[in-house]
Amino acid sequence: MEKNQSVTKGIFTAEVVANTVVRDCFRRISLVLDADGSSAFAEAMPGQFAELDMCGAALPVGSAIPKELADCASRQIILRRPFSFADITVKGGSQIELTILYHVLGPATVRMTTLQAGDRLSVIGPLGNGFSLPRSKKTALLVAGGMGSPPLEHLSRFLRDTQPNLDVQFFAGARTLENFPFRANTNAGVSVSEFSHLQGKIHLATDDGSAGFTGFVTDHVAKWLKDNAPVTDDTIIYACGPEPMLAGIAKLAGDKKIDCEVSMERMMACGIGLCQSCAVKATSAGDSVYKLCCKDGPVFDSEDVVFE
Amino acid sequence: MSKDSLNKNIDISVDFAGLRLKNPVLTASGTCGYADELSDFFDVSGLGGFITKSITLQPRAGNPTPRVVETDSGMLNAIGLANIGLERFIAEKLPIIRELSTAVFVNVAGKSIEEYVAVIGKLAQDDGIAGFELNISCPNVKEGGITFGTDPAQVTKITKAAKDVAAGKPLVVKLTPAVTDITVTAQAAVDGGADALSLINTFTAMAINIETQKPILANRTGGLSGPAIKPIAVYLVNKVYNEVAGPAGVPIMGLGGIRNASDAIEFLLAGATTVAVGTASFAQPQTAMRVVEGIRQYCQRRKIAKVEDLIGHLQ
Repeated sequence: MEKNQSVTKGIFTAEVVANTVVRDCFRRISLVLDADGSSAFAEAMPGQFAELDMCGAALPVGSAIPKELADCASRQIILRRPFSFADITVKGGSQIELTILYHVLGPATVRMTTLQAGDRLSVIGPLGNGFSLPRSKKTALLVAGGMGSPPLEHLSRFLRDTQPNLDVQFFAGARTLENFPFRANTNAGVSVSEFSHLQGKIHLATDDGSAGFTGFVTDHVAKWLKDNAPVTDDTIIYACGPEPMLAGIAKLAGDKKIDCEVSMERMMACGIGLCQSCAVKATSAGDSVYKLCCKDGPVFDSEDVVFE
Repeated sequence: MSKDSLNKNIDISVDFAGLRLKNPVLTASGTCGYADELSDFFDVSGLGGFITKSITLQPRAGNPTPRVVETDSGMLNAIGLANIGLERFIAEKLPIIRELSTAVFVNVAGKSIEEYVAVIGKLAQDDGIAGFELNISCPNVKEGGITFGTDPAQVTKITKAAKDVAAGKPLVVKLTPAVTDITVTAQAAVDGGADALSLINTFTAMAINIETQKPILANRTGGLSGPAIKPIAVYLVNKVYNEVAGPAGVPIMGLGGIRNASDAIEFLLAGATTVAVGTASFAQPQTAMRVVEGIRQYCQRRKIAKVEDLIGHLQ
């Protein structure tokens, strides 16, 4: 397997470059790392993550807090929050810029909205294992459910740069058009500015049929595989999203004997292997064991995960 | 006098359970792994001491997830003593621990007195281990744990049995706050021969998701830690110091919600000889070393020559 982990993790300072609204409660923040952080993140892979400290960030003033978050926003937070990257780019030769797509849904992310260009925050990373590179493959299916698209956006851009001849197809599913964490133009074919570099197609699926395929993204992928019948050994699936969707993709890949990697999510207190809270049930040499999402994942071979 | 030379004159070492620790700050069990994880962020040998994650005789997979949830100024955990077990601890972690030049305490848990005795007996001769901490206060397992720690007769019995096989190494007994009167269990531990007491472990607590109307943790309940419990911990340390530990000459390791030197100094003034940093390490892995430096600066500012002069100095 290709190297998929950057080992030089540490605690660094990052400066906010921009913090903008994508749509509704979805936002993108860009952070430039200090010199040490830039060298640590220079080799970071799509699917790895960082722990951001929002404990010192301010709450929005009064009515600027979304009504549905008002109760939880008043909670004093003490833990960092883990985020994968929507992109990692090099600025001015050696400075590393992290782009994070986030969903404002709790006391930490509501604080995150008040960060402005020039603000500094503490970042621990790069953490965990990212996606492996599909060197021997001809087709890669990137499958995102709901908020699962950021690491796949990073991966798609990474694959364009490293394997330009790879056929990359991006599938995204959501309940309805407004729930995609990006703006999709669905007029003449589907286009999404964040995925404009993609050479393959963008396939949307919505539960209510408001855009693209009507139904789950897993069913959409199954249909595509049936219609296009790619050579299984030449194909790989990368998936990130809610666990039932990952379980569905893992089963589909298993049935079709297609390699598949899934990016898992767990509540984490630390992200660095101290707290043992982010257990993922997995098989190891036939035995059922708990692995840690933060150290052994968050990207796992789908065959290794025991979905419950 | 330059700042540096003054610093050198401040003695921040402490006597704790027969050991001379280079400073009064340790990292708490279950929040700092087996040292190799924290070593990515600072030199663990700078600590006064290090307490391993709980070790049990057999490996334990731990509880289903979610195992943690953040609460207001705190968090709940129900890890369930997930650990690699004694055999793998000896093979994989002891070699790392032996390299550390800090006092390493192995935290021991079990379902029966025999299990505690088996683990301690097996490790007692190892020169790389400074002492043991007896976990009789874990709220997240069905057998053992807190069920030992709430019954004074059991506390004395298990402390005695552990002390008998510890080959003279210091034994710290970790107390739960989930009792009517913590001085009773503290006295029971002292009666059993405890060389030190550590307090407090977490409070059994619950957080509920009002949309699913279910507890958030898979274990339903978990242990509450973090700044939310600090004032209670300071109070209980002071109470145990005044009523049991002080008169008996048994030192206290104070813990519960410490995230900076000011918090740590409160515990020292309340009667703790050492302090342990727990939950704070999750968000800021280098917290314990910052606490060491902050205590040194406090002593310098207050013209205190020895950190030991702070212990129990509450006016």
